[in-house]
Amino acid sequence: MKNFFSLLLVLAALPLLAQTTVTTTIGQQQAAQVIRIGIPFPDLPPGLDAQTINNAFFAPLTRDLAASGVFAIAPLPPGVAPTADLAKRLNAYLLRLQIITEGADYVVRGRTMDSTGAEILAKGYRGQAATLTKIAHMLASDLVQQVNGNKGIFLSQIAYASDRSGAWEIWLMDWDGGNQRQITRHNALSILPSWSPDNQRMVYTSFTRGTSDMYIINRVGGGRMRVYTGLGLNTSATFSPIGNDIAFVGSVSGNPDIYVIKDDGSNLRRLTTSSSIESTPEWSPNGRQISFTSGRSGSPQIYVMDAEGTNVRRISFEGEWNDDATWSPGGDEIAYTSRVSGRFQIRVANIVTSQSRIIAGEGSNEQPTWSPDGKWIAFQSNRTGRWQIYRMRADSTDIQQLTTAGENKDPDWSKKAE
Amino acid sequence: MISYDAKGVADEMNKTMKAFALGLVIVSLALVPACRSKKTVEPQTHPNTTTSATVPEVPPPPVTSTTTTVEPPHDFVQEKPVQEEALPNDIEELNRVAQQRGLIADAFFNYDESTLSAEAQNALQTSASWLKKNPQYNLLIEGHCDERGTEQYNLALGDRRANTAKEYLMTLGVDSSRIRTVSYGEERPFDPGHDESAWSKNRRAHLVLVGK
Repeated sequence: MKNFFSLLLVLAALPLLAQTTVTTTIGQQQAAQVIRIGIPFPDLPPGLDAQTINNAFFAPLTRDLAASGVFAIAPLPPGVAPTADLAKRLNAYLLRLQIITEGADYVVRGRTMDSTGAEILAKGYRGQAATLTKIAHMLASDLVQQVNGNKGIFLSQIAYASDRSGAWEIWLMDWDGGNQRQITRHNALSILPSWSPDNQRMVYTSFTRGTSDMYIINRVGGGRMRVYTGLGLNTSATFSPIGNDIAFVGSVSGNPDIYVIKDDGSNLRRLTTSSSIESTPEWSPNGRQISFTSGRSGSPQIYVMDAEGTNVRRISFEGEWNDDATWSPGGDEIAYTSRVSGRFQIRVANIVTSQSRIIAGEGSNEQPTWSPDGKWIAFQSNRTGRWQIYRMRADSTDIQQLTTAGENKDPDWSKKAE
Repeated sequence: MISYDAKGVADEMNKTMKAFALGLVIVSLALVPACRSKKTVEPQTHPNTTTSATVPEVPPPPVTSTTTTVEPPHDFVQEKPVQEEALPNDIEELNRVAQQRGLIADAFFNYDESTLSAEAQNALQTSASWLKKNPQYNLLIEGHCDERGTEQYNLALGDRRANTAKEYLMTLGVDSSRIRTVSYGEERPFDPGHDESAWSKNRRAHLVLVGK
């Protein structure tokens, strides 16, 4: 009923929306319809520190909305009440925030009016101090969904490997680099995390037993299990977008090939039989195809096959060394690591035509991973002299460094917006 | 796929004195400066022939020298026959001493390759002889790559390098049940540098003695 009412409100506001949007240019993207939105810093009750609220809540919220492609932050005149009159005068939306505490809980309410002063979204969130940043991402996500129907990616997360604890372990961070936290404690080389399609599990490689093994870790509870394959290597493991299959690189007597196994360790299938080195499988979004790297031509290049291992064809024709292929969520493009003139770059290629473009920058840039909405790519770069994880738009604008502590690599963006 | 220049080497080695094996190592090491000074580009080695007359550029073992010009490492010059030396009990110390004395030696590879050069075969022949005389130890072979590749492909390449070395040791008579392999790809470089001197040290099958 509530949603229905919201929908009515949006429908009623639609004719007005058209008048109130302004056209701006974001980076090098084509002109997009961007809604200006003013967000006054909330009046805080005694006991709440403005700096703390800003860092944990207000700043992430405004960063999300500014990066959304839907909103642009409108500067507000000081000392003017955020009323419908102000919205009309600025020709902008207004997001009015209220933050109070109830015991150990914070209660955050956000009321958004459009530029006619009509309320289009009112939502409340409750949680402890540690959840304030998550509430900011939720509010931004809800607001974007209210306006364009698609969930924002602000609750998505990026898994990666970091050596900052002394050993390489699997870590997790929010999409904007916030809330970085360690999720494995093998105290041994643990690398190459990959999300399940429902974001509830991750598969990765750890050397904790002295050999490279495949592990699955659960999001709820953090329980983990080793998947016994009976093969060597067990690297580059990746969940199928449908079902419970995992593609990975297995090796028998030094011949690495692409294999598929069920997540319970049953039903092992070998997909490639070439005597050359095969590695780095990645499923297409519909699960019907698998890309991989093969040295069969004399140098590592990207190939695509049907998920049964048939119909193999090469799709990378530029670059001396190509690896790390990953499909865009729409399935029409593949991003991969491509060495050009001795330096690794991120290349994005059309899956049908193989037409490609280079989208990185200084240093070596490797291991691209798409955001769930396909608008962003995270990758690792050593441009500072150390491996760190960066995020940029798929057109290579707005590059931002997300990690700074220790060295960080192997980024994998969660598979769906939440 | 990979053919070795066996030439009955295994049998010969068993009969030949230790000094001969050491001599091979020393001779091959003596060749290193000459090869390097030519500044030849990566030699074209054909995957199916390791008997090529051209000596591929071979990296020096990680000796204590700090200069960039590579001298034959004096560490390998034996003062007395190796079998008379007491071996340390501590396994880490044993590995250090065994590598230093050339009792076991790593196999080095060319860029993006996993075939065994003549030098790599010599190193493994030496290692096989010692391993067969010392059955109280097992062997872990670590496959390593230089940083110029990509992480995921290099893990696979390291696996192939380690297994290529394992297969050759088996050909030379070392029991396969004594050998375990692991690939570290480019994860654990021996030399953290970013030049050919470092890269050549990092492309190797690293032999590690382990207790039974």
